[in-house]
Amino acid sequence: MTQKKKDNLTKVMDYLKHEDPFSKGVAFCPGCGLELLIRFIPQVLGNDIVITGTPSCSAPVLLGQNNQTWHKLSYFGTLMTGAAANATGLARYYRKAGIENTVVCFNGDGTAADIGFGNLSGAAERNEPFIYICYDNEGYMNTGIQKSGTTPFGATTTTTPLGSASKGKNLRRMNLALKMAMHKIPYAATATLSDLDDLAKKLLKAKEAKKRGFAFLHVFAPCTTGWGFAPENTIEVCRRAVKTNYFPLWEAVNGKIRMTKTVKKPKPVTTYTELIKKFAHLSEEDLQILQDDVDYEYCMLGGLSVLEGECQLPVSSED
Amino acid sequence: MSSNKYFKHEGPWSDANDPLMCSDTGDWRTKRPIVDKDKCIFCGFCAIYCPIQVMEMIEESYFSPDLGFCKGCGICAKECPKNAISMMPEGDFKK
Ligand code: SF4
Ligand code: SF4
Repeated sequence: MTQKKKDNLTKVMDYLKHEDPFSKGVAFCPGCGLELLIRFIPQVLGNDIVITGTPSCSAPVLLGQNNQTWHKLSYFGTLMTGAAANATGLARYYRKAGIENTVVCFNGDGTAADIGFGNLSGAAERNEPFIYICYDNEGYMNTGIQKSGTTPFGATTTTTPLGSASKGKNLRRMNLALKMAMHKIPYAATATLSDLDDLAKKLLKAKEAKKRGFAFLHVFAPCTTGWGFAPENTIEVCRRAVKTNYFPLWEAVNGKIRMTKTVKKPKPVTTYTELIKKFAHLSEEDLQILQDDVDYEYCMLGGLSVLEGECQLPVSSED
Repeated sequence: MSSNKYFKHEGPWSDANDPLMCSDTGDWRTKRPIVDKDKCIFCGFCAIYCPIQVMEMIEESYFSPDLGFCKGCGICAKECPKNAISMMPEGDFKK
């Protein structure tokens, strides 16, 4: 056996500076992307963060049951309609009391993109000093896999089923992260689980940025149960989402967009959809619509990321 | 000002000194990850990608899952660049 070297160890390990505050046996599905994310965050940001969130797949674990908990973090459970408003209250209280800590508002896409979007937008606009993390599993998974605003075109859910009258969602997904970047907040970024070093860096940047105000992270976290893919493919699904530009990785500081990972030769979106059952019924035309949407979003992002250097503000001719 | 001391005891319902709830998620497993120590190059990818973070570093030489809680998802086997982990049917191990 060759001498094992410590320098073989992935750099991601260097970011895991704190202990995992969760007990080992918690009730997430095998292969759950959310579970990896929720264990990763406090290992990078520290165990003294205060998490607040809403009913979701994360809530049964974060909230605890009866009089016991699954983890050592501080958690404040709120309603979907007011998640960011509650986090605002928490952050303001700590600021007033002179306690320095990090409030992390941790929600699914249902809260962030749909039900709680109004107050998320409001908190961003007021530049409240906390980190909002949306884990995007493209639907309301905990209540039985209903579609949300971030559910992509064609995906089957229980409210957009496959049948004679419906072939999955008939609208394209909305781009939540871009919408948040357009609030021109100190920090907005997308991240996913295949690129954990990128995710860790963005978490740390968000923690820095929250000293200046609102920080938003959109994390792509596939759901093996809701989407229909083999549990061992969770990371592979994330990787392919990045490689096909289905979920590009970028960050925006004060609205200024920069790609954090550019894919030289993006693969067709079918290399991503072929892994997932919710897309299995899509015809070639449908897949083309999905591909066009991916290209459209990427194009828009690419355009925005070069704009900053090239765009000249119109100069008033009066002076 | 350090903050942690403020949150240790919110009330009896969140006493961080109480034992945490913990299920025997190892019972869910239908396949068991077996690590080939000789093939393992100690890169740690299995450990960082394991959703429940149960891949333990053994003697700074290889990684091994905590079978009490490993749910058998197979991510570690899939992500290992050296194919050092194989997923074996759990039934093979029952007496
Ligand atoms: S991923 Fe494979 S080679 Fe790397 S540490 Fe784990 S078992 Fe060893
Ligand atoms: S099979 Fe899944 S839960 Fe078990 S050690 Fe591997 S990655 Fe972790």
